Amino acid sequence: MTLGIVRASVLYADKGPKIPDFGKTSDCVKNNGSFCWAWFRHNWSSQFEPRLWEHIELTVVSVGVGFVIAFVLALLAYRARWLAGPVTFVTSVLYTIPSLAAFLILVPITGLGRMTLYIPLTSYTLLILFTNTLAGLTGVPDEIKDAARGNGLTPMQSLWQVELPLAIPTIMAGVRVAVVTIVSLATIAAAVEPVGLGERIFDALNKGNFHTQFIAAGVLCVLLALVADGLLVLLQRVVTPWTRARRTR
Amino acid sequence: MKINGLKARTTAGVAIAALALSLAACGSSGGGSGGDKGTGSTNTDQPGKGKPAVTMGTKDFAEEFLLGELYAQALRAKGFTVNMKKDIGASEVVDKALTSKKIDMYPEYTGVVYSGKSLANLGDHPKSAKITYDGAKKWEESRGYTMLQPTPFQDADGLAVSKAYAKKYDLKTIGDMKKVGSFTYGGPPENGTRYQGVLGLKQAYGLNQLKFKPLKTGAQYQALNEGQVDSIAVFTTDGQLATGKYAVLTDTKGIFGYQNVAPVVRQSLLKQEGPAFASTLNAVSKLLTLKAIIAMNKSVQIDQKDPAVVAKAFLQANDLV
Amino acid sequence: MNDFVRAFHFVGDYWSHHLLGSNHSLADLTVQHLVLSLKAMVIAVVIGVPLGMLLGHIHRFSFIAINVSNLGRALPSLGIIAILLPYTGISETTVIIALVVLAAPPILTNTYVAIEQVEVGTVDAARGLGMRPWEVLVKVELPLALPLIFAGIRTSTVFVVATATLSGFFGGGGLGDVIANPASFGTYGVIGASYVLIVLAILSQIVFLTIEYAVTPRALRRPLRWAIRRAPRARNVEADPTRTHPGSGAGADDHPDDPNRQLQLEQGSKIE
Repeated sequence: MTLGIVRASVLYADKGPKIPDFGKTSDCVKNNGSFCWAWFRHNWSSQFEPRLWEHIELTVVSVGVGFVIAFVLALLAYRARWLAGPVTFVTSVLYTIPSLAAFLILVPITGLGRMTLYIPLTSYTLLILFTNTLAGLTGVPDEIKDAARGNGLTPMQSLWQVELPLAIPTIMAGVRVAVVTIVSLATIAAAVEPVGLGERIFDALNKGNFHTQFIAAGVLCVLLALVADGLLVLLQRVVTPWTRARRTR
Repeated sequence: MKINGLKARTTAGVAIAALALSLAACGSSGGGSGGDKGTGSTNTDQPGKGKPAVTMGTKDFAEEFLLGELYAQALRAKGFTVNMKKDIGASEVVDKALTSKKIDMYPEYTGVVYSGKSLANLGDHPKSAKITYDGAKKWEESRGYTMLQPTPFQDADGLAVSKAYAKKYDLKTIGDMKKVGSFTYGGPPENGTRYQGVLGLKQAYGLNQLKFKPLKTGAQYQALNEGQVDSIAVFTTDGQLATGKYAVLTDTKGIFGYQNVAPVVRQSLLKQEGPAFASTLNAVSKLLTLKAIIAMNKSVQIDQKDPAVVAKAFLQANDLV
Repeated sequence: MNDFVRAFHFVGDYWSHHLLGSNHSLADLTVQHLVLSLKAMVIAVVIGVPLGMLLGHIHRFSFIAINVSNLGRALPSLGIIAILLPYTGISETTVIIALVVLAAPPILTNTYVAIEQVEVGTVDAARGLGMRPWEVLVKVELPLALPLIFAGIRTSTVFVVATATLSGFFGGGGLGDVIANPASFGTYGVIGASYVLIVLAILSQIVFLTIEYAVTPRALRRPLRWAIRRAPRARNVEADPTRTHPGSGAGADDHPDDPNRQLQLEQGSKIE
C-alpha cells in the first residue's frame, strides 16, 4: 500500500528542475547593513581586486599615452611657439566634452570594448599635460639657458640636461592632476563598459543599493586616487631633491 | 636615499615609473580576467569545438545577468566559445548593439519585442503568451534574427507600492491609483518613454498626474522604502517581492503584456553554429520555471550572491554543466 | 556624423517642448541643472571663503589650506557619491554633498592665498591708520583679494556644472536625465544635451571672467589678453621668486608647496 502511494506521488510529482541550495548568507548582508566586513573579505579577490587592477590599468595607459603625445607636442611647440595656441585650443575643446557623453558617443563608432574608454580618457589628459610641460619649459629663465649655451652645450644637450630637469616640477604637477582626474573619470566610464571600480558602484545600484559594495568601491576609489597622488609627490621629490627645504616665511 | 647626480636621479625616477607601469600591467592581466573563463567540463560531447565564437550581450539588470550566465555556461560546457558583453544597457540600447553586429544574441522578453518594436498601433494587445511569442518571433525573423524556445516563466513589468500605502488608499489595481491624486513613480530612465512604462500608465490608465523619477533598476526598492517615491516599477520575479513588504497592483488593461524569455539570435549565426547550439539553449530555457527563477533571483538580489556562481550551481544540479 | 547634426534638431525641438514621457522640456532641465549647481556653489562659498579669509589673515595653517585643494581635486566624485549613498540615500542631498566636497577646496585655497598674499606693507599701512584687525580684513585685504577669490569660484563653478550631470543616475534632475539615458533619447539626444552643457560651462566661465575683471582694481588690470592664457615667457628669477603675481602662468618657482603654482595649475576643470 505504501508502495502504491509512493509510486503515485512519483507519477504526479512536480517534474520541474532541481533547484539546489545556493548557500546561506549572513544577516548583515540580508539586512543591508552599513558594512559587512566578512562579505567584503570573502569577495575581495573575486569581485574587487580585478576591478582595482583594471582601474589602475585604465589610468596608467591613458595617462601614459597622453603624456607621450603631450610631451611631443610640447617639445614641438617649444621650438615653434606659434603651435602653442592651436594645440591649446584643440586640447581645450577635447577637454570640454562631457565625459559621459564622450563615452556614449563613441560606442557606435568604436564598439563595446576598451578603445571606447581609452580614447576619451587619453584626450582628457592632453590639455593639462601639454600646458604644464610647455609652461615648465618656457619657465626656465633666459639666464640659465644662456649660461648653458655659454658652457658649450648644444641646444639639444641644453634641452635634455638643463631645461627639462628644471621643468620637471611643473610637469610632475601636471601628471598628478592628470592621474587624479583620470581615476575619477574612469569611474564614470563604467556607465558604458563594466570595467574598473565604477563597475562595482553601478552594480551595487543594480543589487538594490547594496551598502557594503557601495562603501567598498567608493573607498577603494578614493584611496586609489590619494595613494597615486602621494606616490607621484614622492617620485617628484626623488627626482628633484633641490625643490625641498625652502620654506615660505 | 641620497642619489647624487642629475643623471642618476633621472634614471631612478624613470626606473620607478617603469616599475609602477609594469606592476599595473602585470596586475591587471593576472588579476583582472573579468569572469570570462570557460567552466571546465568533463563532458566528452563537445559539438561546439571549432565553431566560431559567439558574442552574447545582456541588459542592465540582475535577472538578465543570471540568464546570460545560464546560457553562456551551458554553451561553454558543450565546447562553444562565448564572449560575454554584460550590462550593456536598456532594451533599446542592447537591440542597437545587436543590429550593429556588436553582439550576436541576447536573452529577450517576448512582450518587449512585441510592444516595443512591432507595434504599429498602440491598441494592439496580444491576448496570450503564445500570441506574443509568435508575433515577436515572426517580427525578429523578418529582420534576419529569430527567437528560440521560450521559458516557462514570465517576468512582466509591474507597478508596486508599499503594503501600507496600498492599505491606506485601498489599492488593488493600477487603475486605483487615480484615487491617490498626484504621485511619484520611480523606474529606470527608459520607462519614461515606453508604453510599458510611463506612456502606457498615462494613456491606458489615464494617470496623468504621475510624476516620473528616473532610478537605476535595482535601486527603486530602497527609494520606496525611504519614502522618496510613492510607487515603483518592478519585475514580477524580483527577489524583493517575496519578502511580502510590497503590493504589486493588478495590470487590468494588460499594458505590461506577456513576457516569457527567449534568446534572440542572428539567423546566420545559428546556421554557423550547428544544431547543438539551439538545442543547448532550449534545454536551459526549458528548466527555467517560475519557481526556479525566483529562487535564483532571491539568491542574487537579496543574498547578494554572484550570478555566475548561482547559475553554475543550478546548471550543475540539472546536469547541464 | 549624422547624429551630431540631429542633435541640433533635438535641442531645437525639445527646448521648449516636453521631452518624451516627461513633464519637462530641455529648458526646464537646464534650469534644474543650474539650480542644483547653484545650491552646491553657495554652500561651497559659504564654507570656503570665510574659512580661507580667516586662515589667510592670521597666516596660519598654510600647508593644510593649500593642500586641501589638492585633496579635494583628487577625490573621485562618483566614489564620494557611492560612500554617501548608504547614508543619504538616492536624493539630491547626496549629489550636493559630493559637489560641495569638490567645489569647496579650490575656493578655500584661492581665498587663503589671495588674502595671505596681500603685501605686508599695505596691511601695515592700514594698521598704522588705526584700523582694527577685522577692518583691515574686510576693507583692505578682501578687496585686493577679490579677483583671485572669484577665479577660484569660477574654477569650481565649471567643475560643479559639469559634474552635476551625475545626478542623472540618481534621479536628481538636470541635463543628466538626458545624458545618462541614451535608451530613451538616442545618441543624438545625448549629444544634444551635451551641447547645452558645454554652452552652460562656457557661459559660466564668461560670467565669472567678467566679474573678475570688474573687481580687479584698475591699477592691476592688464589689457584684454589678461583673460586669455598664453605660453608665458621666462621671467627673471632673481627678482623675488616667491612673489610672482598670482595667475601669471607656471614659472620658475620650484617649491612644491608654492601657492602660486597651485593656482596656476587650475586649468579649468574637467567636465564629468
